[in-house]
Amino acid sequence: MGYGGFDFDSWVERNAKRIGVDPEKLKQAFREQFETEQSIDAPFDVPDRWIATYRYSYGGQSRFFREILFNKRLYGTRCPECGRVYCPPRVHCPHCYEETSWVPISGEGVVESYTTVYFGTSAAVRKFPFICAYIKLDGTDTVICANIEMDDVTKAHVGMRVRAEFKEDRDGMITDFYFKPLVESDG
Amino acid sequence: MRCVAVVGVGTTPFKARWREKTYLELAYDAAKAALDHAGMTKDDIDCCVYGIYNDFFERQFQPDLYVHDYLGMAPKPAVRVATGGATGGSAVRIGFAEVASGACDTCLVLGVEKCADLFSYDHQSATPEILKAISYTADMTYEQPTGRTAAASFALAVIAHRKRYGNPTDEQMAKVTIKNHKNAMLNPIAQSPKELTLDEVLNSRMITYPFRFYDNCLYSEGAAALILASEEVAHKYTDKPVWITGIGASLDWASLGNRESLYTFTSSRVAAKKAYEQAGITDPIEELDLAELHDAFTGTEILAYEDCFFCEEGEGGRLVDEGIVERDGKLPVNVSGGLIGCGHAVGATGIMQTNEIVLHLRGEAGERQIHGARRGLVQSIGGVACAWTVCIILERGF
Repeated sequence: MGYGGFDFDSWVERNAKRIGVDPEKLKQAFREQFETEQSIDAPFDVPDRWIATYRYSYGGQSRFFREILFNKRLYGTRCPECGRVYCPPRVHCPHCYEETSWVPISGEGVVESYTTVYFGTSAAVRKFPFICAYIKLDGTDTVICANIEMDDVTKAHVGMRVRAEFKEDRDGMITDFYFKPLVESDG
Repeated sequence: MRCVAVVGVGTTPFKARWREKTYLELAYDAAKAALDHAGMTKDDIDCCVYGIYNDFFERQFQPDLYVHDYLGMAPKPAVRVATGGATGGSAVRIGFAEVASGACDTCLVLGVEKCADLFSYDHQSATPEILKAISYTADMTYEQPTGRTAAASFALAVIAHRKRYGNPTDEQMAKVTIKNHKNAMLNPIAQSPKELTLDEVLNSRMITYPFRFYDNCLYSEGAAALILASEEVAHKYTDKPVWITGIGASLDWASLGNRESLYTFTSSRVAAKKAYEQAGITDPIEELDLAELHDAFTGTEILAYEDCFFCEEGEGGRLVDEGIVERDGKLPVNVSGGLIGCGHAVGATGIMQTNEIVLHLRGEAGERQIHGARRGLVQSIGGVACAWTVCIILERGF
């Protein structure tokens, strides 16, 4: 269009590189703005992106992730005062204000509640639908948020027994393990 | 503590996208409307509280800096509040504290949010990117990587409630979305006024079990502002003061394993109880004339009936079946359309809800006026499975 020599294609190329998206998709999103006749007063969009990278320390909770990554084992923490066992682990008991100590846990537990997500975020690249559940692991006094893998997601239910399974390729993240139904007929 | 009145309110229309205005311009529109409503100028304002939820939405850290600047409020004291979906309610509470304490005589409480500048180029849609920006509220170490969305954290509570009490059923949830969309038809600022049928709702696609498409609130853009004044100065600005007679707040455990139960929201119970105690309310369903409850999801509106003590625990679904919460019922809930029908412009939502009650108490709610309304409740919730709640009781003072 006659915008004082404005070149849409080179704008797309530069900006796709700047924000790290596919130039065709950028072009698709901006075609109407640049390829139709618009008033100089019409609202004007620009592409942008925010990004930050980290080298994040797990601090006092590090052992939980080392055990998962290197040993395929789940650990919780126990308060010496009240005896509560936390998984996810806490270095400090929020009730007693005491330092906890590490205890191994079995990796089996029961579904306290769950939901099946059919539509999610672009943060997690995964297949839909998937199950997100709060699971009370045996020997712990808390619940952990985790995914359950099962063939028929409609068979998930509160009270279902599940067991932790560790992924082959582990990254030192909470998603290095997931749960499967313990009883075949649940799956 | 000094008594605190709301002396002016202003809310912009809630829309899916305000491409023609930035968050600063929306903030201006709401502030101007509230000042005009109160017959004040910006020079009459002693301090400001800004409710803005998500920096990713605004594409700006500390957006309050720029709102304060745009409104020409320098060098008055100001603070930004962010408590997830309860941001608007929390902003009202902090403004209340400013005035009740005597720190200031007047306070502008302003909430604003833009979310649909976010855009996923892969999906050619804003929604997945908005969900992503919200997902960072989940615990980044233990929960966010599992893909647990905000909706999922509330769905989990509804499933747990169903397991224990057998409700809310799909039909009861459908009736809530039908009610709220229909109520929105009388609200000129509402984003989604429409008549829905039970079949349409129950046949809409599953998003987060048990929430179907129509069980979810809308992402909105918009702004809402109100002006608070102390009992000493309120009469200068209005002969129709609306008093804040109760205001309770709570922040529950973020980790659900530490909570008392998965099927009730303790923060809502604590906040409601506190607000009722302050206002001297012992039987809310008899003593309230209307309520704006945070219906981010149909199922959670029903849980809110219980958590705000409109009925016994486990009986929320019954209130829907008996029509008690309809606009012509005993206790109309969300006559604005709520988050489902009017919209959810996060930082602005709790203030929009408060403004709605204020309009009814002043007799200025137009076609949707609940006649003779003297006392109303606002419930503003947010965070992982309702970690935050603010409850506000407003009463007609004339």
